[in-house]
Amino acid sequence: MSRNEKKDPTSEAGNTETIAIKETVTAEARLLSDLERGMKMLEYLEKGPWPSYVSELRKTKYPIEVYAEGLARKYTPWLSGSFRVRYVFSGILARRSRDGKYVEIHFRTYTPAGRFYSTSYLRKIIDVAEKYGIGLVELAANTGALVINVWSDKADEAVDVLRNYVGTDVGSSGDTVRELYACPGPALCEFALYDTLSAMDYIRRHPFVYQHLNNQLFPYKIKFRFSGCPMDCTMGNSRADFAFIGTWVGPHEIDQDLFRKKVETGEVNPKELAESCPSKAITWDEERRELRIDESKCVRSMNCIRRAFPAIKPGRNRKIALLVGAHVQAHFGPKLAKAVALLDSVEEAMPFIGKVMEAYMDYGASKHRIGDMIYKRGFKVISEIADKTLPSKPRGAPSTHLRISIGAVLTDDERKLYEDWAKSLVKEYFGEG
Amino acid sequence: MSLTISPNPADRMNKVLPQFTAQLPDIIRRNYGRWVDRKFHGNGIIEHISETGDRVFTVKVGLPPNSRLSTETLKKLLDIADNYGLKVIRGTRAMNLEFITDSLDKALKIKEEVEKLGFPVGGWGGALWSVMSCTAYLTCTTAVVDAPSITQVLYNHLKPYFTGEIELPAKLKIGVSGCPNQCAGGIAVDISIVGHYGQAPKPDPERIKFCIPTKAEALKTAIPQIAAVCPVGAIKVFGKPDGSVGIEVDDKKCIACGRCKNVCDYLDWDPNKIGVAIFVGGKTSNTGTGPRLGYKVIPWLPVNPPEYKEVVAAVRRIIDIWRSEARPGERLGDYVDRIGVDEFIKKLGVPVTRHNRMTPQQWRYGLRQFFSQA
Repeated sequence: MSRNEKKDPTSEAGNTETIAIKETVTAEARLLSDLERGMKMLEYLEKGPWPSYVSELRKTKYPIEVYAEGLARKYTPWLSGSFRVRYVFSGILARRSRDGKYVEIHFRTYTPAGRFYSTSYLRKIIDVAEKYGIGLVELAANTGALVINVWSDKADEAVDVLRNYVGTDVGSSGDTVRELYACPGPALCEFALYDTLSAMDYIRRHPFVYQHLNNQLFPYKIKFRFSGCPMDCTMGNSRADFAFIGTWVGPHEIDQDLFRKKVETGEVNPKELAESCPSKAITWDEERRELRIDESKCVRSMNCIRRAFPAIKPGRNRKIALLVGAHVQAHFGPKLAKAVALLDSVEEAMPFIGKVMEAYMDYGASKHRIGDMIYKRGFKVISEIADKTLPSKPRGAPSTHLRISIGAVLTDDERKLYEDWAKSLVKEYFGEG
Repeated sequence: MSLTISPNPADRMNKVLPQFTAQLPDIIRRNYGRWVDRKFHGNGIIEHISETGDRVFTVKVGLPPNSRLSTETLKKLLDIADNYGLKVIRGTRAMNLEFITDSLDKALKIKEEVEKLGFPVGGWGGALWSVMSCTAYLTCTTAVVDAPSITQVLYNHLKPYFTGEIELPAKLKIGVSGCPNQCAGGIAVDISIVGHYGQAPKPDPERIKFCIPTKAEALKTAIPQIAAVCPVGAIKVFGKPDGSVGIEVDDKKCIACGRCKNVCDYLDWDPNKIGVAIFVGGKTSNTGTGPRLGYKVIPWLPVNPPEYKEVVAAVRRIIDIWRSEARPGERLGDYVDRIGVDEFIKKLGVPVTRHNRMTPQQWRYGLRQFFSQA
């Protein structure tokens, strides 16, 4: 039993006195157990104008009491558990509650590139989530995967059903290649400079990557992201060990007639357009009514293209920029990606990827990401491989790593300082009460 | 749906991967890579125009925090996609949901139907695109603070920014992560709210034994993972005279990054000292000043569930300053860089300590490494 006696959480609901949960706990509130306080917090979280996740959880068999208790104690209620399904070595995560009364098993499942789900696909997922699980899914998880909660005793069969009935599989957890992610690219977007969806499919099925999907041989995880244009909707620049970002070399395609038309209709203000260019590469010739872009200055910010598309378009000589070593979770803190080369296709990158993965397995310390390996050994670990595997491709000049500390140990005085500031801010926005 | 044949379990070594082509509706397959323009119809509806003259409409819908949906609700959403859409939906990077259809009337009908279910439509252009959230207390073992509840409260307060009732200068993305691992959007989102310990971890005296070797002799051959993962060497695992193993955490060295917590559950902390830090100005897009990490402008704020007034007030203050002073189309990070991060901290009024004293940065990341500036 937990240290609080488990009561029916709804038994207090009829109580007419509403007890506000504040840092200044009233004598009455202090008498409530953590579970009861937590359940009251959940009631509050269901009231707002935005669709509530608590209401969604209540419609499933999720052990909401565990969550409520954790919320009241400001302490995560879960510990890692171990759970095995035969021949499955990634994609299944197990948790047990601190009091040992509940387990929570969830599957990460591979998603179709671009996360386009046909309704028939999702109805099959629903079947699995209801028959083998608690009826809860995480539809657009940040890992790229679709997450389904399942019962432990049905997990084995659920794997087979996912594989043979739905046509997907569990995977992408642990020290392996995590779920890849591509932007919708040519399926919906006019800015896509290469076929991100096919690229993701190609790399996920390529033997160099595919062979690692069901093992945990790496020091830590590896992530791939595919963005069709420099706007990088998949966050490859900050979160991917291997980022493929569409770009181009050489001049933009400018349709001067169409541009003039856009100027005449007032859709585009050419002076403002030139002014807002981050690298000041644009000049507007008022006499000739012509727009000029100094290509040597352009940094591919897409500023003019977004404002004046399709009068200004990316150039025809399309390239895929390969960047490595970005991540958030790592030994030496978060890092942004480092430039490797401009490629003509993703296929060209495969020998490079294979060799970098090998080097990572050889040199990477436990729980170090590829970026950490670069940080420790210098960028030459990457550039040497690139020289051997990517001959005569335009290279970038990699930037230095920025040290950012996310957490910090604060003294009580510092904590008090910020708490007082926060109090004054709360007063300003929420009034005295 | 039960399987009549029982497949050979060893086959599971080869993963089954879903094909995206099977998911795409015909109209998208026909116009694949042939889109030439787009138009916006209100805040959440976008029209994609193909060179063939075909048009599809995307309707962007906000989801509950952490994109958690019960199958009951998901079925209702799928019914809408079947009735008015092209029988396809898309989960976005930023934890939103997109419906795809082939006429504006149907798009408006989808908007009406999802709004009936309580789901908001919006999140494009100069608006709040999403508040991304990690799972935190829902399933996570390392979470310090609970991200979904913070996200819920933020969404409740910031909904008008999502639906477009109140305009913002540019796109705004917020990430709420329960711990320094930053699973929600990382540090490269405009406003990143990160749970952090604010203190050095204390090994649980009874159960820490599960994370360290039992005999001191074992230390001669290998450093235990819990000590090896510490980037500052604050965790010492040592042999005791009686042959058992002890562990110590050096408060002075510790940077509370949580790496040790990733490999061992039995490290404790005081729930009264936990808080969140707020980073401002991160992004990954190459627009403006390019990809960049956020500045830690607020190193610590108390967390008080379920209202989280302190966090909400701080986020609203940041947005208010940006809204009133940014140029049109200027993202938060670009704005902060233009006025200077010190100036921004002054406007915010947050006390400056060793934790948020900034050094100016040169941002030359992402694609800019390929294209040198003159």
